[in-house]
Amino acid sequence: MRAVALETPRRRSERSAALIPVSMLVLVLLPLLLLPLAAVFIFAFRGGVSAFVNALRTPDAQFALRFSLLVAFATAVINAILGTFAAYVLSKYRFPGERPLGIVVNLPVAIPTVVVGTSLLLLWGPIGLLGRWLEPWGLQPMFTPVGVLLAHLFVTFPYMLGTLKPLLDELETTYEEAAYTIGANRWQTFRYVLLPALRGGLFTGALLTFAHSLGEFGATVLVSGNLRLRTQTAPLYIFAQFEAGNIATANAIAAVLAILSFLIFFFLLRYTGKPNERRH
Amino acid sequence: MVKRQLLVRRLRELSTLGLLGAMGLYAVWPWLPLPQQANRPRTIIFYGFSILGDVMDNAVFPAFQETWYKQTGERVEFISSFAGSGTITNQLIMGVPADVAVLSLELDAQRLSAAGVIDSDSWHQLPHKGVVNRTPFIIVARPGNPKQLRDFESLAQPGVGVVHPDPLTSGGANWAIIAEYGAGTRQQRDQPEAGKDLLRGIWRNVVAQAASARAARTQFENGFGDALITYEQEALWDRSRGQLDAEIVYPRSTILSEHTVVVIDRNIDPDERALIDGFVAFLWSDEAQRLFVERGFRSVDERLNEHNPGFGAIADPFLIEDFGGWTQAKREIVDGIWKNQVLKEVGR
Repeated sequence: MRAVALETPRRRSERSAALIPVSMLVLVLLPLLLLPLAAVFIFAFRGGVSAFVNALRTPDAQFALRFSLLVAFATAVINAILGTFAAYVLSKYRFPGERPLGIVVNLPVAIPTVVVGTSLLLLWGPIGLLGRWLEPWGLQPMFTPVGVLLAHLFVTFPYMLGTLKPLLDELETTYEEAAYTIGANRWQTFRYVLLPALRGGLFTGALLTFAHSLGEFGATVLVSGNLRLRTQTAPLYIFAQFEAGNIATANAIAAVLAILSFLIFFFLLRYTGKPNERRH
Repeated sequence: MVKRQLLVRRLRELSTLGLLGAMGLYAVWPWLPLPQQANRPRTIIFYGFSILGDVMDNAVFPAFQETWYKQTGERVEFISSFAGSGTITNQLIMGVPADVAVLSLELDAQRLSAAGVIDSDSWHQLPHKGVVNRTPFIIVARPGNPKQLRDFESLAQPGVGVVHPDPLTSGGANWAIIAEYGAGTRQQRDQPEAGKDLLRGIWRNVVAQAASARAARTQFENGFGDALITYEQEALWDRSRGQLDAEIVYPRSTILSEHTVVVIDRNIDPDERALIDGFVAFLWSDEAQRLFVERGFRSVDERLNEHNPGFGAIADPFLIEDFGGWTQAKREIVDGIWKNQVLKEVGR
């Protein structure tokens, strides 16, 4: 709509200038990104559409998809709150140990996810440091959906923080000061001054968290016990099917995950994106 | 104009929320408290080594569900997980809530009892000392057998690429090592080094190691190597479905692997006991044993093995007992010869 309205000679020359870099980018991305994605779809549909639908209709596949979505939603919501809180504290308060803490909360992206899974097991598992005291009480988070959620919260924690903290750091403090001078308390300032400014970042952070949770494998495979119909997420299901030689089934679920991720990104980016254009 | 933009924005917001809502509804649907089947099924949590996945999920579990329903009117739900035998054993040691597990080799059962997960030798109280079925180790070659593979010795020839599961995580790989070593010693009884020589020859040619027998097969199917050493069952089951794009080569001497059932008593509540015992007994019933045979496993009951004409003849089959049982075989052959000598000599 906008593009058509603004079609001018200058626009047109801009477009032809874009031709070379854009085609170069596509050429580079072809073997790295586009072809592997295409391969998933090609293999998913190799047995025909009915085979694709049948692969999706098994109870195991349905459970895995639903469970993955639920865990991803829960992870995104919880880490959105925790991450915002962490970003606020780290950005607005000065305290000893601030820098080490800032590094530690970002570590989960650098630690191999398998290590995350192992350490969670060694902490909360039935023979773990804390787990062995919980076991007699009948509390056992590992090998249950709670364990999967714990692993995903750990692994995706830095994404929310990483999106919000730079925004908070760069936000003009004058608005906040203005709010304080007219008698707003910290919560009111956060709720009515900071939060609206963070809206885009909140969406992006939650989106990244959701997407990473949807695709998480390394930690999940260890803490879940990989139980079908109970703790098997979609990536675990895909891997199990691939290992069992059911490549078409594996790719059918992979294709659905890819489409879901695409849809989520597409809609949310449209919803939140281009704030400049909208506000003018 | 402004009004229209506002409308477009509203629509976008609505469509986004609609999409999210639809996905959320889809995700929680099975757990919504809708009026549906009232009585909750009883649950058996089952862990099995890799090649059991298909026969258990698609044949034995449904058969038991039907039998149990007829006997008691109770519905049973199976929660299962399949991976390499070593992986399963490690998961059991870490405390997964399994009721019953089938391991590829008794050695893993011994590891479980050493870790205190099950009582020592508790599986010996079960029928056939816990062995639920068998399958010999065979060689799978490319269609037309272009490398002229005839026996384990052929795999030691230069230029043959062998796909082998990893003995660290795969029970099948441990069986394969005993099969290779045993074939060497039994074919040339006058030469004490024959077993080790054969192992060294084969392992010089190993081009890919996978975490489980299943994964090794997937690697082979994806084009790795000229030969795969695996369970006969894998190849037979593929062939019976017309999916085997390869040839089965039967060695003259090979081992029959024996798969051990363990019951994890500490995970079983008293009110679950009858159900679990019923299921375990069912594994040795004629019905279940026939299902195993149908899908390429050799039954512990020799009579039933006539029902599968696909089983190939093996001139000199042997068992782990012939090498003094798994404790001794692991110490002397897998660790003593393969790991400490052969692997070092071939430079891995």
